[in-house]
Amino acid sequence: MLAAPWVCRSCVRSLRRAGVSHFVRRASTESPVTLPSALLERARKLAAEHDQLSAVLENDFDAKKAKRAGEISRVASALKELEKAKAALGELHGLLESNDAEMRELARDDLEATNAQLADSSHNLSMALTPKHPFTDMPCLLEIRPGPGGTEGRFFADSLFHMYKAYCSNKGYRTRVVQYEASDSDGQTGSEGEIPLQEAVLEVQEPGAYGLFRGEAGMHRVQRVPATEKSGRTHTSAVAVWVLPSFPENSTSESEADWDKPESDFYIDPTEVRCETMRAGGAGGQHVNKTESAIRLTHIPTGTTVNMQDSRSQQRNRETGWRLLRSRLAQQRREAREEAARQLRSSVLANSQITRGDKIRTYQYQQDRCTDHRSGLNAHNLPDVLRGGETLGKVMDSVQNWLINKDIEALIADEEAAAAPKKKKGR
Amino acid sequence: MPRLAPSLFWRARREISPMAAQLLPACRDLESAANELRWIREYVQDTKSPIPDELRIWRLVEKRAKGIPLQYVLGTQPFGNLEIKCRPGVLIPRPETEAYTLHLATLLSQSHPPPPSLTIVDLCTGTGCIPLLLLHSIQAALPRTTAITIHGVDISPRAIALARANHAHNPPPSPFLPHHTLTFHQYDIFSPTHDPNSPPDKPHPTVDLLVCNPPYISPRDFARATARAVRNHEPRRALVPAPPQQQQQQQRADRYAAWCRRPEDVFYARLLEIAAYARPRRVLMEVGGWEQAVRVVGLVFGKQGEGGFGVGGYEVEVWRDEPAAGDRGERVEVAGREVVVRGVGRGRAVYLKLAED
Repeated sequence: MLAAPWVCRSCVRSLRRAGVSHFVRRASTESPVTLPSALLERARKLAAEHDQLSAVLENDFDAKKAKRAGEISRVASALKELEKAKAALGELHGLLESNDAEMRELARDDLEATNAQLADSSHNLSMALTPKHPFTDMPCLLEIRPGPGGTEGRFFADSLFHMYKAYCSNKGYRTRVVQYEASDSDGQTGSEGEIPLQEAVLEVQEPGAYGLFRGEAGMHRVQRVPATEKSGRTHTSAVAVWVLPSFPENSTSESEADWDKPESDFYIDPTEVRCETMRAGGAGGQHVNKTESAIRLTHIPTGTTVNMQDSRSQQRNRETGWRLLRSRLAQQRREAREEAARQLRSSVLANSQITRGDKIRTYQYQQDRCTDHRSGLNAHNLPDVLRGGETLGKVMDSVQNWLINKDIEALIADEEAAAAPKKKKGR
Repeated sequence: MPRLAPSLFWRARREISPMAAQLLPACRDLESAANELRWIREYVQDTKSPIPDELRIWRLVEKRAKGIPLQYVLGTQPFGNLEIKCRPGVLIPRPETEAYTLHLATLLSQSHPPPPSLTIVDLCTGTGCIPLLLLHSIQAALPRTTAITIHGVDISPRAIALARANHAHNPPPSPFLPHHTLTFHQYDIFSPTHDPNSPPDKPHPTVDLLVCNPPYISPRDFARATARAVRNHEPRRALVPAPPQQQQQQQRADRYAAWCRRPEDVFYARLLEIAAYARPRRVLMEVGGWEQAVRVVGLVFGKQGEGGFGVGGYEVEVWRDEPAAGDRGERVEVAGREVVVRGVGRGRAVYLKLAED
């Protein structure tokens, strides 16, 4: 006879697990930022420059100097705050050693708050020192393409497309569908009426959209039982999302003006692009009247091609084709530069660069879960994520934070790498 | 016309929509059937009507499936950045025409110093697409001091009515642009303007550009080389040069025919006669292909016929489908003289430029 009453095995297991915390992911837990001396030195230098500039600007105004001063004022103020917090901490430490018991008590109470303030201001300083991504203030293009494999990935690509579209409309961002092409090979629709998507490009016309959606680039993995699956097996497929910077269509901001300058990322030498119109064979001219508005642009040095046949107007197709080509090339150039920079500091920094090849997020239907692999966030309301609701916003915010921390880490690593040879020389 | 494989219909029905399968006989391939269906849907969504959308889509698809060109079904065709209205009885603007018109516009707006006035004449204007696109493209590039005068001429009253409607449909983008007048006249370009045997006594207003997209298909090619939608639904008069209607012109028509030997080239003979008389600074004539382009260049040099009009003093170029691609060093020898060939594609136009310019 058993002394204890019978308990089912899974209940025992769940009881055993309660309170055990070693399954919790800690990838997102921030370590307190301790600023390396190299970074602090640089911040001091910039602050000194700022003081000097503002002294000059008091006497006579110069647009260029004012712009520079505005850029580094963030650093200067963050540094001031940090020094203030440090000074306060020093004072508190002094008080802790005093003989008065009451004073010691008060200092101990204040210590925690001041420590938090110090951590905060050092984080602020490193953020101020982090160079802003050059495309951050631009609108963006989201390109969605299913990975290799069956129709399941294509259906999910359509779900993702609708997710981003809904998210934008929930947030009130203006969007435009640049391209939305169903695949040729399959006829069915998915369980929620998705079509098999071949390629879709969604433009988010809000300035600053690139900064918001930057973290969405990469492979999105889906795990679910497809509508077409008869024996109930879970399939895993992947969808690639690319985020490209885009130019605001009708504005005369400086970014618009500079695509004619060769130093801009968006510059394309028109002679390097082959533009083909797709026309039927035969005599052409008055002999045929079919609408043949498709345009193919090929950037010869890189082999990048863009096909456009969305509009009936050839000119419209040509314009959108050029814009897409510019965006793609700018992204390629940017990535090449980042890659070069990463190799420079590879001795210091682990592989944290996100390229489009890495799996960044998993949508698990059975477990009703959406996990971001970089920030480590688990969101448990998958339908709301796919409707583009608040939960998706939460996931995207966590990625934003992660990206900022990565940028700071990269900056610190860069500074250290730059400082290292100097020290060697000194020795 | 080759037979379409049944699998194509099957795929269209399964992959796109049953309506795409319906469009397939008219469109001939899956991709354009899908595109045209999408454009029909977009058109229906963009225009309002008390009739339910699905019914309207179905009706338009039904019409298109009968072989009526999409431009007549939807009533419009994009041309450059304009939207040109299309109606049965008037030729639909072609993409090749768009390409050379845009190139002409860049040539006109590049002239230095900017001219005080600019006069353009477009013969056989049809929908009025060429003068409208020229006007819209050069207006922004020229200073406000330039006065632009454009005349569009066509024999068909339907075409003139439609061209005027198109002028109203495409207003100038901004009022702060050069002053312009654009008028359309119904006129037969074969009716005698002057006696060619006596020299002109009054000075003519200078014409800066004479454009013409005349009918240039031979009756034989009309029956064999044209698409079915063109043959069955577009006006024959805009495609095949017809013999003059009036008796008193018979003699003149015979003279043109004797001069150029080919019935499809009759309009070029008359155009060159007008050019010899009015001496426009630039002339552009659309042609139906490489052979016709070479024949027209031969007419310009005056070796083929015995008409004896002096259309000398012009530099001659042949433009291909995409003249914007520029001079790629291609030359063709006609009647012992070298002629510059511009662009890529099929031979599309003959361009004359007064040598003193």
